[in-house]
Amino acid sequence: MTATREIVTDQRDQFAFHDDIAYLAETKRGLTRATVEEISGFKNEPDWMLQYRLRAYEHFLKRPMPTWTDGLDKIDFDKIVYYRKPSEREEKSWDDVPDQIKATFERLGIPEAERKFLAGVGAQYDSEVVYHSVKEELTKLGVVFMGTDQALIEYPDIFRKHFGTVVPAEDNKFSALNAAVWSGGSFVYVPKGVEVPLPLQAYFRINGENTGQFERTLIVVDEGAKVHYIEGCTAPIYATESLHVAVVEVVALPGSKVRYTTIQNWSNDVYNLVTKRAHAYENSTVEWIDANTGSRKTVKFPAIYLRGEGATADIISVAVAGKGQHQDTGAKAVHLAPNTRSRIVSKSVSKDGGRATYRGQLKVSPGATNVVASVRCDALMLDDISRSDTYPYIDIQEDDTSMTHEATVGKVSAEQVFYLMSRGLTENEATNLIVQGFLEVFTKELPMEYAIEFNRLVKLEMEGSLG
Amino acid sequence: MTVASARPRPARQGPTDLTFAFDEAIVEAAAAGEPDWLAGDRRAAFARFLVLPIESNQLYTTYVDLRNATLANAVPYERARGAGSAPVGPTEPDHGTAGTASFRENRIEIMALDAAAIAAGVTLEPLGALIDREPETAERLLIASAALPDDDRLAQLTRAGWNQGVVLRVPPGVHLKQPIVLRWAVGAPDRALLTRTLVELGDGAVATILEELLPTGDEVADRQNLFTGTMEVTLGRDAKLSVSSLQELSSSTVAFQHRHASVGEGSTLHWAVAQLGSRLVRSRVDNVLAGDRSSVEQVEIVFGSDDQVFDLTSYTRHIGRDTTGNLLSKGALMDKARSYMKGMIVIDRSAVGTDSFLGEFGMNLSKATRSVAIPSLEIDQPDCRRAAHASAVGPIDEGQLFYLESRGIPPDEARKFIVLGFLEPVVARVPLEEAQDRLRERLDAKWDAGSGVGSGGTAAA
Repeated sequence: MTATREIVTDQRDQFAFHDDIAYLAETKRGLTRATVEEISGFKNEPDWMLQYRLRAYEHFLKRPMPTWTDGLDKIDFDKIVYYRKPSEREEKSWDDVPDQIKATFERLGIPEAERKFLAGVGAQYDSEVVYHSVKEELTKLGVVFMGTDQALIEYPDIFRKHFGTVVPAEDNKFSALNAAVWSGGSFVYVPKGVEVPLPLQAYFRINGENTGQFERTLIVVDEGAKVHYIEGCTAPIYATESLHVAVVEVVALPGSKVRYTTIQNWSNDVYNLVTKRAHAYENSTVEWIDANTGSRKTVKFPAIYLRGEGATADIISVAVAGKGQHQDTGAKAVHLAPNTRSRIVSKSVSKDGGRATYRGQLKVSPGATNVVASVRCDALMLDDISRSDTYPYIDIQEDDTSMTHEATVGKVSAEQVFYLMSRGLTENEATNLIVQGFLEVFTKELPMEYAIEFNRLVKLEMEGSLG
Repeated sequence: MTVASARPRPARQGPTDLTFAFDEAIVEAAAAGEPDWLAGDRRAAFARFLVLPIESNQLYTTYVDLRNATLANAVPYERARGAGSAPVGPTEPDHGTAGTASFRENRIEIMALDAAAIAAGVTLEPLGALIDREPETAERLLIASAALPDDDRLAQLTRAGWNQGVVLRVPPGVHLKQPIVLRWAVGAPDRALLTRTLVELGDGAVATILEELLPTGDEVADRQNLFTGTMEVTLGRDAKLSVSSLQELSSSTVAFQHRHASVGEGSTLHWAVAQLGSRLVRSRVDNVLAGDRSSVEQVEIVFGSDDQVFDLTSYTRHIGRDTTGNLLSKGALMDKARSYMKGMIVIDRSAVGTDSFLGEFGMNLSKATRSVAIPSLEIDQPDCRRAAHASAVGPIDEGQLFYLESRGIPPDEARKFIVLGFLEPVVARVPLEEAQDRLRERLDAKWDAGSGVGSGGTAAA
């Protein structure tokens, strides 16, 4: 099969770069109370935020390391730099962004994406938002799209009302860590009745060996409003561990519609431990579209709490686990109100010794009558050195719930490959096509340019897997 | 601050607190006079018991609730020695059976095989008798097979403290046409009966077992009793075993059950388990499909009412090539009953050609019920014919209800038919007609007694 190799060219080096940036401010390696105070000091935050961070820090210390998923004990918290600030101020336009940083983004294709489709760009370079633009029309509509740090200063009321209400610092060890040292991330507020016509996009990167990235995203969508938020990640490849611990909070107020799309492609040395949760109020719809292809280990279960009557949750979760990777992903839907609906679709691919784990929870609480819920998880294993696990939790505490759950695990069928090869495809191309078809439930939900990028990533991941 | 109450309030019982006072003295009393290998086995088990958590699988740790069990006063029976007391009942097996072992508390009532079974070399005897008569065989069955899971605290409890047991052995090639009945009737207040049941089928042997767990009528509501039971099954090559278990213990009985089967090449095992009784059942089944082309079919039903808790785990491990696992759990819950159904399928790398299905289905018949289903898969070998699970929870199907009502069946009757039909897959598997009829009657009676069913939860118990 070596002859087929060149057809799928390895484009990994496009992402494998490391620019030497002169950081303007950074904390010492390791995490102490002083680190937390220092970060807060750099940012000139109000005192309540400092106190919040310190409480979270204490909780982080108290909380034991989770052992239900393995490998987290390998994280050396003392080796991580918790805060780095690469440039002095928020940049207003592309022209003002320092050349070196700009060069990095050029290689990621951000400016083209912006010119073509995107309504706004919030690009996170290490720990601070360095570039942000919101199209004028959005500003006119009253849509707020800015770095979370900036929002804390400029929109203190909305910020404080919602910050930490969806994911409390005490939720888990890593939400506590994020609450203690968070920096950057996006803040979105969409006022009542406003429909944002184009997706809002934030591009995240980690640069700098052992730089932790602890962004905090808060999205508040007011009554009857509608927004699609997209984040995608890529990072340079390094030999030593990097840590990404994010918290994403979404508040979908009555009648609103929120879609949150993620393509996670951290380099294969990153521990990606993310708490993502949405509160869905009356008649709102929340959709998580979540793909994980990168990282050494991802632990992420996008969750939707259906708090208001008639709310709808839709989660599509996709994971590709290659050599040395463990994708511990899945989804949660917690029904707390009557007439709520949820749908979870999960697709995972494991290969070259990778491990894909689906972990999900579907819960119907007392009082949540007339719930309709479905869970479907399918796993594809490309070889017998890989592993696939499925751990769904279904907890029903009402008598009129209608819930179905299905899961299957299988391999690429020899018949399908044979058929495609008889049509002139190489084995590698055929397998590629089958995997892309398997993941299409996800891809078809993406805006076009993202679908292209995602298929390219899958192809990249697939490269050489049939060697 | 104040010295208000003279009586100390008992400590609040947490969900994982086991109130049963199991200590070294109990283990040593049971071990007294036993051969060293057996006494050593009890002590090793007790050491494990002391260090293990109540649930060692982290996937399930949040779904443990032992608060229905108040066993602080439960005292274990003395370990039955040798052949035990002479059977007080008939010397013949029950009509229609090839053999009957019947216990009331720790006493043996019947221990008998029919003439044909005896002639074929089948043995059915108390575990104490086998230990005295054939210590090597007992050692092999009790220790070498290592059937009780090493990471399970309650299995280690029984291994350390068992005080009664029974052994059924069917030699190679013997086909038992009629079932063997194993009956345990327990309910004496404040007592604990800890039992082991060992079953061995030689190559090509065929047998059917009906296990009955029954109340005695001696139960006292506030004075619970404990029953622990195992079924440790070893199947040689091309053997066939079918086990039906009807659990109808009283609501003042707490039951801990461990079933383990090692299934040899080409062998087939069927489990059909009906869980109706007990205040709290914590049960675990381990199916080890070790031989090529071995297969297991497992059907389990739960029919719960009042505040019963059914905590049922099953592990099925595929090791041989072309093995088959077909597992189905169904639960219908009334009143405030709860069920936790945890099923795990593990497909090892060696298990090429596996066909595995796990289904967990629930029907919550009242608002205060709770069904938890955790059907899991861990797969290291993708070359499977099938590796899937499915789960569904739903109310009574309106379409079915409408159909039955359109045929002139009153709504309450129709609801009953649908629920009992939902549970029928296990009933149909019960080998003896009388036992089948009795199970149907029990299900019927339980439906009628279930408060609020059919009337939307009016008459709370």
